[in-house]
Amino acid sequence: MPSGADSSRDPDREVVLSAEGLSKRFGKREAVCGVSFDVRAGEVFGFLGPNGAGKTTTIRMLVGLARPDSGRVRIRGLDLARDFERALAHVGSIVEAPDLYKYLTGRENLLHFSRMLAPGAADRIEELAALVALAERLDDKVASYSLGMRQRLGIAQALLGNPDILILDEPANGLDPAGIREIRRLVRRLAAERGIAVFVSSHLLSEIEQMCDRVAIIHRGRTLAAAPVRELLAQVASDVVRVMARPAHRASEILAEFGPTEIEPDGAADVVATRVPPEKVPEALRRLLAAGVDVYSVERPVPSLEEIFLEITGGETV
Amino acid sequence: MRFPGLVENEILKISKQRRFRVVVLILVALIGLIVFAQSRGRERFRRGRDWRVQTQERMAQIQNWLRDGRMPAASQRWARFELGRLQYHLERNMDPEAISGPLFARGFANAASYLLLPLLAIVFASDIVSGEFQQGTIKILLTRPVRRSRVLASKLAALLLAITLTVLFGGIVAYALGGIAYGYAGWDAPVLTGFRIAGQSFDPSGIREIALWKETVLVYGLAWFAALCVGAIALLTSVVLRSTAASMGTMLAALIAGTILPRLAPSWDAQKYLFVTNLPLPDYYSGSPPPIPGLTVGFGAAVLAAWAVAATAAAFVVFARRDVLA
Repeated sequence: MPSGADSSRDPDREVVLSAEGLSKRFGKREAVCGVSFDVRAGEVFGFLGPNGAGKTTTIRMLVGLARPDSGRVRIRGLDLARDFERALAHVGSIVEAPDLYKYLTGRENLLHFSRMLAPGAADRIEELAALVALAERLDDKVASYSLGMRQRLGIAQALLGNPDILILDEPANGLDPAGIREIRRLVRRLAAERGIAVFVSSHLLSEIEQMCDRVAIIHRGRTLAAAPVRELLAQVASDVVRVMARPAHRASEILAEFGPTEIEPDGAADVVATRVPPEKVPEALRRLLAAGVDVYSVERPVPSLEEIFLEITGGETV
Repeated sequence: MRFPGLVENEILKISKQRRFRVVVLILVALIGLIVFAQSRGRERFRRGRDWRVQTQERMAQIQNWLRDGRMPAASQRWARFELGRLQYHLERNMDPEAISGPLFARGFANAASYLLLPLLAIVFASDIVSGEFQQGTIKILLTRPVRRSRVLASKLAALLLAITLTVLFGGIVAYALGGIAYGYAGWDAPVLTGFRIAGQSFDPSGIREIALWKETVLVYGLAWFAALCVGAIALLTSVVLRSTAASMGTMLAALIAGTILPRLAPSWDAQKYLFVTNLPLPDYYSGSPPPIPGLTVGFGAAVLAAWAVAATAAAFVVFARRDVLA
């Protein structure tokens, strides 16, 4: 569980990155529409949304690759559009894949990007290589690196300039479980020990849940107000319960007293989906058993991002 | 302040890529082949005979063609030019077909200026921006705290340096390999330059005698200038098309069109404003008959410079403004 959840809500912490009403359209399609959020020092901020929701377009606007049609990006108070060089000096980022020069070695890549930063960046190469556990392979060509190593080299590159904010776009993509764990540990460590704000995008709720303090959900180009992950999860999915029971119609009759029910046929037994407040679940189960209904399983399904979004916005169509 | 570091980066990337070695290899192999083939041809051509006799025979042959009257106008211009050139050499008692290592090196610049050197410039330039797009590295490059215009300026500087080195290297290899076949001496020998054709007749008024080394420096300077301009134009295609293959293909098509057009459509006058028509600057200078009447070194250099400046300006505008989305 994230450790810094409480401190990150502390409004005294400096806002390092803020998006103010970012919008971007491609032809007729509104890719991003009025996206706003603040990321504070020392927190890991999740940016959650299904593929195609506008995540990458938003990130490209955050790092200056794309120009917003309207709205503004501020980095430590500096307007990115007006103060490009000074603003980006505080940012380290990996957008989409960790693409580095494959025909250069890891060290040559880091030297290359250190020359684009303030003097002294090259002195951090050894330390950063050790931090991302690449010290031994630093003089090998990047072409020979595994995806996980490239991701770590990408993070080392992003940290070269001693940034206040690290922007990672889908850092878990294509990594094996061990690689994902490693990245997660590294991200938490950077936030906790160095006070770096980390902005992480993902299309997987479980990813964000395990890594982030706060999360903003983006859906069809619009975001919801950022909230701590636990609050968000408590808000949704709290009362949908799927009960596998037989006979299903009997179970449905009983559960209907607790909330609206629905029968879905499912293999061996029938499944009844219902809304039962958590504190009423034991009572509902006692009633089922007393009525002679066989209960095979009770589960609380993890809602999809779409469901969460609709749940929070009250089901209104966006 | 950090600009030298940025240029160093771009040079590092050019030199570490395979294309750099390929260019070096192409130059050595091609020049070696030309020297070999040419020296073989000369043995058969001369067969130990006196050059004066041979030159007179050649002039008689050209006069016969001209009397025949069935030559197209463009060939007639060439024939009168050649006749005048040979005549002038005979009068000065200079062998028009003389060869030495230094002469070969100069001749290489003339021959390479309109296809080979521009081609090598294109090989470097086509990749310099589009390569970053294709590798995805553009996303890091443009999110570092360096303005886009400075990033592109550093690329342009590295490109100009790479082209300069290529032209220099070509000259050195031509001299080194030409010297094996024809000897290394002869930089001080006088050469005749400035042959012109005015209307349909030979115009001797511009002919000068200058030391070969001076002539060589001038000719390489012009070939270098032409290659730089091609590089600047290819930089624009690289920025706009964002694909190395597409950029290289476009520029190659332009080069080839430039060598074909004057032959297929010699009467289309406006082609003198195309950059490709003006690439053989060294030829215009030392006085081969230009493909289109009225082309001079000064005009050609001005047209090339205008193209290069416009292309560079457009490249900077597009590069600085366009969103990086793919």
